[in-house]
Amino acid sequence: MSKIGRKILATLLVGAMALSLAGCGGGSSKTSGKATTTVKADGTVDTSQHVKVKFVVLGNKPTNGRLEDVLKQVNEKLTKKVNAELEIQYVEWADWQTQYNLLLASGDSTIDLITTATDWLDAWPNIKKGSFLPLSEDMLKTYAPQTWSSVSPEHWNQTKYKDQIYLIPEDNYAQYTNHGMFYRGDWAKEAGLDQINNFTDLGKYFQYIVDKKPGVIPWDISGTAAFGNQFAGGYMQSNTKNIAIDGIPIGLSSLFYGKSKDEPYTLTSPYMEGNTLEEFATMMKSWSDAKYWREDVLNYNGETRDLMYAGQSGADQHHSETYFGTTRPLMDQKQPGSELKMFPFSEPSKNLTKVVITHGALAIGANSKNPERALMVYDLLRNDKEIYMLYNYGIEGKDYTITKDNKLGRPEGWDQTKDALETNFWCGRNDNLGLIDSKAYAGRADMVKNYNTYAIEYPYGQFIFDNSKSATKISAMADVCAKYIPKIAFGKVSDPKAEVAAFKKEMMAAGYQDVFNDIQEQLKASKK
Amino acid sequence: MEIKINSTIKKDKMTKIVHAFSYTFITLFALACLIPFVLMISASFSTETVITSNGFAILPQGFTTAAYALIFKSPRILIGSYIVTIIMTTCGTLIGLFIVAMTGYALQRKDFPFRNVISFFVYFTTLFSAGLAPTYLWMTQYLNLKDSYLAVLLPLLMSPWLIILMKNFVKSIPYEITESGKMDGAGDFKIFVSLILPMLKPALATIGLFIALGYWNEWYNSMLYLSSSVEYKPLQNYLYGIVNQATALKNSVAGANVPAGQLPTTTLKMATAVLATGPIIFLYPFVQKYFIAGMTVGAVKG
Amino acid sequence: MELTRRNNSQVATIKKKTFLKKVKDSRTLILMCLPAIIFFVVFSYCPMPGAYIAFTDFNYKSGIFASKFIGFDNFKFLVESGSLWLLTRNTILYNFVFIVLGNALQIFVAILLNEVKNKMFKKVAQTIMFLPYFISAVLVGLLAFNILNTDFGFMNGVIKFFHGDPIKVYSMPNAWPVIMVIVTLWQQTGYGSIVYFASICGIDSSIMEAAEVDGANIIQRIRYIILPSLKPTAIILFLFAIGGIMKGNFGLFYNLVGSSNSMLFPTTDIIETYVYRTLMNNFNFANSTAVGLYQSIFGFVIVIVCNWIVKKFDEEYGLF
Repeated sequence: MSKIGRKILATLLVGAMALSLAGCGGGSSKTSGKATTTVKADGTVDTSQHVKVKFVVLGNKPTNGRLEDVLKQVNEKLTKKVNAELEIQYVEWADWQTQYNLLLASGDSTIDLITTATDWLDAWPNIKKGSFLPLSEDMLKTYAPQTWSSVSPEHWNQTKYKDQIYLIPEDNYAQYTNHGMFYRGDWAKEAGLDQINNFTDLGKYFQYIVDKKPGVIPWDISGTAAFGNQFAGGYMQSNTKNIAIDGIPIGLSSLFYGKSKDEPYTLTSPYMEGNTLEEFATMMKSWSDAKYWREDVLNYNGETRDLMYAGQSGADQHHSETYFGTTRPLMDQKQPGSELKMFPFSEPSKNLTKVVITHGALAIGANSKNPERALMVYDLLRNDKEIYMLYNYGIEGKDYTITKDNKLGRPEGWDQTKDALETNFWCGRNDNLGLIDSKAYAGRADMVKNYNTYAIEYPYGQFIFDNSKSATKISAMADVCAKYIPKIAFGKVSDPKAEVAAFKKEMMAAGYQDVFNDIQEQLKASKK
Repeated sequence: MEIKINSTIKKDKMTKIVHAFSYTFITLFALACLIPFVLMISASFSTETVITSNGFAILPQGFTTAAYALIFKSPRILIGSYIVTIIMTTCGTLIGLFIVAMTGYALQRKDFPFRNVISFFVYFTTLFSAGLAPTYLWMTQYLNLKDSYLAVLLPLLMSPWLIILMKNFVKSIPYEITESGKMDGAGDFKIFVSLILPMLKPALATIGLFIALGYWNEWYNSMLYLSSSVEYKPLQNYLYGIVNQATALKNSVAGANVPAGQLPTTTLKMATAVLATGPIIFLYPFVQKYFIAGMTVGAVKG
Repeated sequence: MELTRRNNSQVATIKKKTFLKKVKDSRTLILMCLPAIIFFVVFSYCPMPGAYIAFTDFNYKSGIFASKFIGFDNFKFLVESGSLWLLTRNTILYNFVFIVLGNALQIFVAILLNEVKNKMFKKVAQTIMFLPYFISAVLVGLLAFNILNTDFGFMNGVIKFFHGDPIKVYSMPNAWPVIMVIVTLWQQTGYGSIVYFASICGIDSSIMEAAEVDGANIIQRIRYIILPSLKPTAIILFLFAIGGIMKGNFGLFYNLVGSSNSMLFPTTDIIETYVYRTLMNNFNFANSTAVGLYQSIFGFVIVIVCNWIVKKFDEEYGLF
């Protein structure tokens, strides 16, 4: 007996030890150290302590050495002005959604500046989870005065949660980040299509490639959950008038939409209501069978864009800015005559919202040790002409040139795929200081004009969903989405109608209706 | 008598059949074990375009060392991964082995009153575990080991099974050795280091190799805890990235400056896999007998 | 010395002294065990209270213990959606087949290997059969992909050579149980057959010779001498393995199936892969922990039961 007794005792002792360790042990190091930046008696800021500011940025870390050269010069200036140095931490594209959220979840105290966004980087959920530091007006006025005065009060209102500012919006940068498909104009013309503006024509384009371009995969996509959800979302946008509501991520999916621009406060979901999902599933199955993408698409991991540049993929999927600034100019270079065009998902249904000012936003890490200095650095990055040019474009002469008509040019032999700087400052670009890219697609202005004829302001800028009642159900729904949407989006199902029915059934079982009601209530209440 | 003669003839035929079957089956099975590797190696020496159109084959198609040449033009990350893995394996094995041996010795000492409690304490962890999520939180938020090589090194230092295995090995050393040490006035630790350890060489080799193999093949903890801000990942995790992430593949030979669409992706993956696995394949025939020893001792007394 | 002291009033003090004395006397040994103890405390025991997450609506700002307690709601969803049942079924079935077929094949190979008389052949064959055990799961996944994929896999290459239709393995959920079993057997048979082989080598050769003289043919020798001698080992190994039946081979499943091919999940998802995906892809700490906790408890119960059965066979072999 005593033998067993001792064993039990030992286990209990250990358990108690563990509990006490877990309970009082450290926790994430919530900083309470003394501030490194304070205001002196005479009102100026004390920057006597040299500080390293870490900036979390999305993208692949560049390996061409340009970043290091440029950062050296940027840091020289930053040191001179605010006695600080900038260090960049990249969240690389592989698995970025997981890595980004995990990084924020870990409460890392070494990160100061964080690139975020309310529409694609889950800013609201992260604010609610306490990943970002609330920014008081005083803080902003003192440490980022230029930014503070350049953002209007209405815009500041759109970054508030429970009356506290959490984000600095990139609100002075005109951009169009509406998604769509890129396709080769030359091949489309051969196929008898001029401008592709809907999914049916896209299918014809793909079929043409299958028939007449051996060795090329119409759309050599990697069937990840991220791409699957984006593609499904695109179909929804093209075939309904529903407007996606940001800030309510269901795993990697966005299920909840406003009914239309005339009835923005009526909640709906094109995934669950009507036949849209079924039609999508059926179409995708036929596309998969017709071999518009690889058979093993769900296990495949090639880089579609690179393959398109090499002429091995007939299409790629991303947004307008990428088209204007990257893929179109590059395709003109790498596949001359290809005349890359874009089929924006918004065209067939004329369903488009303008970019929200928080599509790019800066947040400060909740556990940052140098929030004030970080703000000062950001203020300079965004508003100081010299530093802005350096940080965004590089060293004049080596990374960029200024053309005769004051546009952005590139030195002879500069190749974007090899020589790009990639500081990816997507939360503080400033049209006052930036240069228009001379190599950007010349037809940009026309396309933008077209968008402006039907784009509306995003109606839900100030709607922040309080998920405290629905979080568990949302997790359960995320599971269901992860199970069904990727394979439906790439047609990897044997019976599309049955799959969609099963999806809907499991969603209901996960508590969809309750969550729907919760959101609808809050949405109605947010009507102003 | 007749029956006996008949049965002798039958026996020979039957035996012959069984023997022939044995040879055939074993040969086929051995081939099955070998062919996947042959495919991989031959693909690494083939031309990319031929592989993607014709598929994998036993012999290289369009023999070329292009994939390897590409890697060696810009081997920085591969070499970095090797170095990280070698350092981690060496340090981890030495430290872990010492602790395992020390603990195994202490736990088999019949005059150690707490040996059962501690044995159970160690063994209990195989019965019940916290699970991935709590462990992940613990490692990243409380121990702050995210992006640290320690997150990979520390958890692999030892395991309950290895400690029990070592215990069994040490049991075979007669207690007289310890006794004589005690009579000479030596403390337990000294006895362990100067008397027991030298006698444990085969056991140390066996268990050391298990630990080392664990480190060399490790990719799971790396995947969990080392994000992209860690430049040099342990070898198998590096391979995982190469195989599964197109950008990792691009970066691995970034220095060679090949335009993205022209990377020989498949053959490059194979060549990297060969290089990442090579050492194990060459070494293991020599260390095979230690693993056998470990397996038999372990199986006999769980 | 203690035995001679029978003064009752000092019994209590003696007992206490004895404990402390025990600690004092064996302090070096205790110290020698300390690194291992600390290791397990830090890496195994400390995270355990985190299992509490399974019962909460986890919010990582509040941390583990301040998140809202919701009782069994997480489990309710897992049960109602059929996930828990599916995962349990998959994990147990796979392990069961691995164990039964695995051991059977290992015995089979061991017996055949014993009949191979050429020493050189035996040695080379063993070395080759050992090889799959030493490579990492990542490599196994890669090799499998090389063979199975539709566009340029070896298997489909052979099929196309014979003018057949390529088999789209990665889209056929029902093919995968077979594939997983084959790959597991491939990786583990060579190594696992060693124990049985050693056992067979240990059979007294005089018994075998006597049987031969008595007229037993080779099949009979195998059936009546070799197999029975392997029985105890097989049973013990079998029961040990069953004890671990709730624990799947994460590395193998994750690398072979991949993390995004949800087509294959119904037939290949085991508890570990679900736990991992739920945590890493959906950040669903609560659900992930709930399934993990379920696995631990269920597994614990099974081990206790199996240990009890093993002890019935042979007291010696019990784990505790």
